[in-house]
Amino acid sequence: MATAAISVSDLSKTYRTGLLGRSTVDALNGVSLEVEKGEIFGLLGPNGAGKTTLVKILLGLVHPTAGTAELFGTSARQPKARERIGFLPENHRFPGFLTAEQTLHLYGQLADVSGDVRQRRVPDLLDHVGLADRSDTKVKTFSKGMLQRLGLAQALLNDPDLLFLDEPTSGVDPVGRRAIRDLVLEMRDSGATVFLNSHLLSEVEKVCSQIAILRNGEVVRHGTIEELTAVERVYDLVTTPISESLLDTTGLEASPKDAPSAPELQVYRAHADNRPALNDILDQLRSADVEIESITPLRRSLEDYFIDVVDEGQPAS
Amino acid sequence: MRPLFGLLQMTFRELWAKKIVLGLFIISSLVLLAITFALNLNVVEGSLEGLRLFGQEAETPKDVPEGSPQMSLTSVVVAVEAVVAGAAYWVGILLSLFASSSLFSDLQAPGRIELLLSKPISRVQVVAGHVLGVWLAIGILTLYLMGGTWLIMSIKSGVWHFRFLLSILIVIGMFGVMYAAVMLMGVWTQSTALALIVSYGLIFVSMVLAGAGEIAPLLGTVGEPVFWGLYHVLPNFTEVTGIVTTLAKDGTVNSWYPLTSSLLFGGAVYTGTTYWFVKRDF
Repeated sequence: MATAAISVSDLSKTYRTGLLGRSTVDALNGVSLEVEKGEIFGLLGPNGAGKTTLVKILLGLVHPTAGTAELFGTSARQPKARERIGFLPENHRFPGFLTAEQTLHLYGQLADVSGDVRQRRVPDLLDHVGLADRSDTKVKTFSKGMLQRLGLAQALLNDPDLLFLDEPTSGVDPVGRRAIRDLVLEMRDSGATVFLNSHLLSEVEKVCSQIAILRNGEVVRHGTIEELTAVERVYDLVTTPISESLLDTTGLEASPKDAPSAPELQVYRAHADNRPALNDILDQLRSADVEIESITPLRRSLEDYFIDVVDEGQPAS
Repeated sequence: MRPLFGLLQMTFRELWAKKIVLGLFIISSLVLLAITFALNLNVVEGSLEGLRLFGQEAETPKDVPEGSPQMSLTSVVVAVEAVVAGAAYWVGILLSLFASSSLFSDLQAPGRIELLLSKPISRVQVVAGHVLGVWLAIGILTLYLMGGTWLIMSIKSGVWHFRFLLSILIVIGMFGVMYAAVMLMGVWTQSTALALIVSYGLIFVSMVLAGAGEIAPLLGTVGEPVFWGLYHVLPNFTEVTGIVTTLAKDGTVNSWYPLTSSLLFGGAVYTGTTYWFVKRDF
């Protein structure tokens, strides 16, 4: 069996706070999940859910209290596990006295990238993130968006197999956001795995193949966006107009969705308890010479789904 | 080795980017220029016949009783080297600590430590690379000033006084000892101000501890052993001044204990700091 890019098992983290460390905060409670190679994985959760702690454990920044975390089969505690990864922290800080080019060379050295490779990749990456004309500018003069792009170039220096992005589009304008999204998709197409931690659910929805939702230090949902956001056994049907009597018989109702552009078509919503019930509705429509243009399982937006999941965890008022 | 070298380079460059280090470099250069051009030794057949400082003839005392030491070439060389060594030890180390005190705290700042520790480099290597980088930068500066002084004076006078070179190592070593305290406070509190206060505080305490022989017996049965305990445990920064100037004067050091106990303090604090840095969460 192929090794997963990320494998986390029964991971727990308790922070000790206070002067003598007597107070404790449970940040993670027995988290288990796997991210397969080549996936774009989104980690979601409200503030304080444990997302940052999980990412930090995977990067060796925080020591777990219990459980294991592995990257490509190597314990995340080992420096070797970080040989094949790139990381863009949310609020990263580069030494301000370095230029963009010097910064990339320095962090490339820290990532064990040879001088020959750096000579080739540094200009390429600066060009890729739109900073080629700023290569000799000191980093301390950079705007937030430029720093974010430089951070991304830094994360890609070692041509990583696994890329961790923490709020990558934070402070970036729409054009830059689009460029970052395209870059993430490029990474996936080249076979790399991307672990995305973002509050921008619309971005997550556009690029992620799998997501997990953390709440109070536990994984409460995990799966593909399609699986998680599908509303069970509710479909939107685009058909030619249906008579009132047939609507009554089949239980169809007008859909709140906008009517299709073709004037002869209408949208109806069907509630079917199972597959035979759905087929029965379709049979009745066909018997009445209703033409069916499309059948689409109803989905919620990721944002609606996320809010529902988070609300589940709130104590009833 | 490449990540370690990168870290060393980063620390080195960061320190040199600070204006105070540039200032130290400029002051050192001015001292060397003064020794080169403003101090003229008139040496005839190995003896000092005259000395001019900034163009002014240095007057030798006229009423020197017979048998009293005269101003010799060696005594002038020793005096210049001892003054530079003393200044490098006190002023140099105090300013170098001031210049470097923020480095380790900054390294651990949110947004920076994440970038660093996410690289394939162990935390022990992070500490080692940082310490070596700081030592190297301060070492080069010390070598520039003290080594330059030694070289210029030796060439000018023909008096090659090799024991002085040992005092360079001691100045660098004692900077390393005091920097250990800066690092410990850095990993504990991430506060530059506190790191500086503690390291300067240790230097101040060492001035009191230097008088241990006279002060301790006055402190009673409880106070005396506590005072001696502090004397043996804490760095004896002030007493090491004596070793540096003795070496600079080409004298014989009676006791190396203040230096060895200080180095042991530094070693223990570096070990503790590394352990703490490895164990802590960021």
